[in-house]
Amino acid sequence: MSKPLLLLLFALYLTATIGYLAHLICRRTLFAKIALGLIFSGVLLQTGLLAQRWWVAGYMPVTNLFATLFFFSWALALIYLYFELRYRIRATGLFVMLLNLVLLGGAVPRDSTISALIPSLDTPLFSLHILFSFTGYAFFAMAFSIGALYLVQTRLQTEMLPDLSTLRRINEEAIFLGFGLFTLCMVAGSLWAHIAWGHWFSWNIKSVWSILVWIFYAGMCHAKFIRRWQGSVYAWLSIVGFGIVLFTYLGIGLLLESNHPLE
Amino acid sequence: METSPQTAKTVLLRLWEFLCSLKVAIVLASAAALLIMGGSLVMHYNPRIFGGMEQEIMSEWLPGAWSQAPQLVFWVPLSGLCVILFAINTLCCLIDWLGKISTRWRKTGEYLIHTGFILLTIAYLWGNLAGFRSGPHSIFPGTEIKIPHMPEYTLRLESFTPQLNPQGRPLDMVNQVSLRQNGKTVRQAEVRINHPLIHDGLIILPTSFGQALQGFRFHLPEQGMINLAKGSRLTLANGQILRIRQLLPDARRSGRGQVQQVGDRLGNPAMQIVVQKTDNSTWQGWYFLREGLPTELSEAGILLRPIEPIFKTYSLLTINRDPGDKLALVGSLCLSIGVILAFFSFYRKRARGDRPDV
Ligand code: HEM
Repeated sequence: MSKPLLLLLFALYLTATIGYLAHLICRRTLFAKIALGLIFSGVLLQTGLLAQRWWVAGYMPVTNLFATLFFFSWALALIYLYFELRYRIRATGLFVMLLNLVLLGGAVPRDSTISALIPSLDTPLFSLHILFSFTGYAFFAMAFSIGALYLVQTRLQTEMLPDLSTLRRINEEAIFLGFGLFTLCMVAGSLWAHIAWGHWFSWNIKSVWSILVWIFYAGMCHAKFIRRWQGSVYAWLSIVGFGIVLFTYLGIGLLLESNHPLE
Repeated sequence: METSPQTAKTVLLRLWEFLCSLKVAIVLASAAALLIMGGSLVMHYNPRIFGGMEQEIMSEWLPGAWSQAPQLVFWVPLSGLCVILFAINTLCCLIDWLGKISTRWRKTGEYLIHTGFILLTIAYLWGNLAGFRSGPHSIFPGTEIKIPHMPEYTLRLESFTPQLNPQGRPLDMVNQVSLRQNGKTVRQAEVRINHPLIHDGLIILPTSFGQALQGFRFHLPEQGMINLAKGSRLTLANGQILRIRQLLPDARRSGRGQVQQVGDRLGNPAMQIVVQKTDNSTWQGWYFLREGLPTELSEAGILLRPIEPIFKTYSLLTINRDPGDKLALVGSLCLSIGVILAFFSFYRKRARGDRPDV
């Protein structure tokens, strides 16, 4: 992938983040509008870069740490656009785009060359597994940002941020949609494991933690029905949940060895 | 004191409410999750105990591991129990809902998700109690092996072609196989990466391949190039007959002069040769190819000169059985369809303000 285009993308998201910050400080909607425009352009550019890599590789190129961070960042930006267009959450973008910058910032210095696909990964089931996994993760990342923002808003009670009940609704929605997509990821992954290794579930550390992520968010789909948990507890749970996601995605690959290596 | 039917009914109702309770579900799911979280790290740092967990089904692995280190393994049955209770809890919850389906048909998606989870739990238990995992089994083309635990089945490898890229990296392993039940072919299939043969809960897939020493190419002055393998018989120009009784890829002489096999890979190859002379006397001895021709052979004018080894490729196949695989597939379908439907009902429920309060 061309480094200048990657840096341009990073610059677009960075400026958008600064735009949201300016919107919060100066209380002018114009800044938020500019920031949204920048995110739009960023998503278009990122979609183009992703499509080009896919075209060159001949398969969905999400098989190493650079590619997964890049895809994760794209999915998060897209999901943010969905929530922004639906709920007009403006300054919330600051939190989401900060997280996105961390993801993209992690990708920029890494090697972006596309390597040959390992034969066992050469199946549409693997592509679906990855697609649903990272879109699910991106929703969980969105829920994490919203959860953190909820806790900030309980203190600040500012009009510049969405009110608590809107934040709660968005959080619940992000978790529900993320859970749904992650369920599809688990289904595609089990079918793939069945034809590739002859068992649909096995006790390796990555599969075990994926099940934990799934159970945790299934629990969260229900936790919202418990009246006493509906406010800050739910927000904290979104943060803890994302910690589990990060450990499953990065921690296992970087700290421990697994059969899902990242690089 | 006698319990009145009314009290009994209340107790039963209470019990049912408990079984259907969302709070119980959260407690059980959290307990299972915490146990598995801790357990996964124990698992990672104790590969000696947990290494076999992926190669065997649970009912085979657990008793062995338990006898070795119960203090490291206890979390497995305990978390399993929590998951089973959780699935029972989900089932009760589902039955409770089903009783009210006429007013709740719009929640079919959620029902399907719950059903999917229950079916997958049952499928996992079934597969891990009544299935097996075996292999990899090495099979030479043209030979057949018995399927473990299922004596009525045999698997014949008709042909095997590894496909390599120009750098010599394996791209695929194409196995033409026939599955036979009581001698009758029930399935013929091409088994390669991501394309297993699935039949009657059996799943047969390629793992790798290897090469075994089959024989050697020699130069013999009067005959030119000849191939000799175990069982070869050669009539020489002067009427002597040479037979190869054994061929060991890696051998050594023990202290007492006996020859023993060391390994399967080509190392110090040795052939046991029998020469039947024209006067009907025989000579039998070992020819260690790296040590040079035994004097008896050179004196008899049998001047074998080894040129190169001849290898035969074999395929390594994994053979597993999971009788619960179809149920798991139904469970996965329920989950997938359920999720898609629930995406719609989530927004509909939200619009109608329809949500249970606990
Ligand atoms: C792993 C197991 C489970 C999974 C994956 C699961 C999944 C779901 C999902 C995705 C929803 C929809 C949530 C929403 O509308 O936002 C739901 C709703 C619900 N689930 Fe579960 N669930 C599980 C276990 C249970 C258990 C054990 C119970 C009962 C004890 C239960 C009771 C409910 C109830 C009452 C609802 C609300 C349905 C409604 O809108 O009326 N679930 N579940």
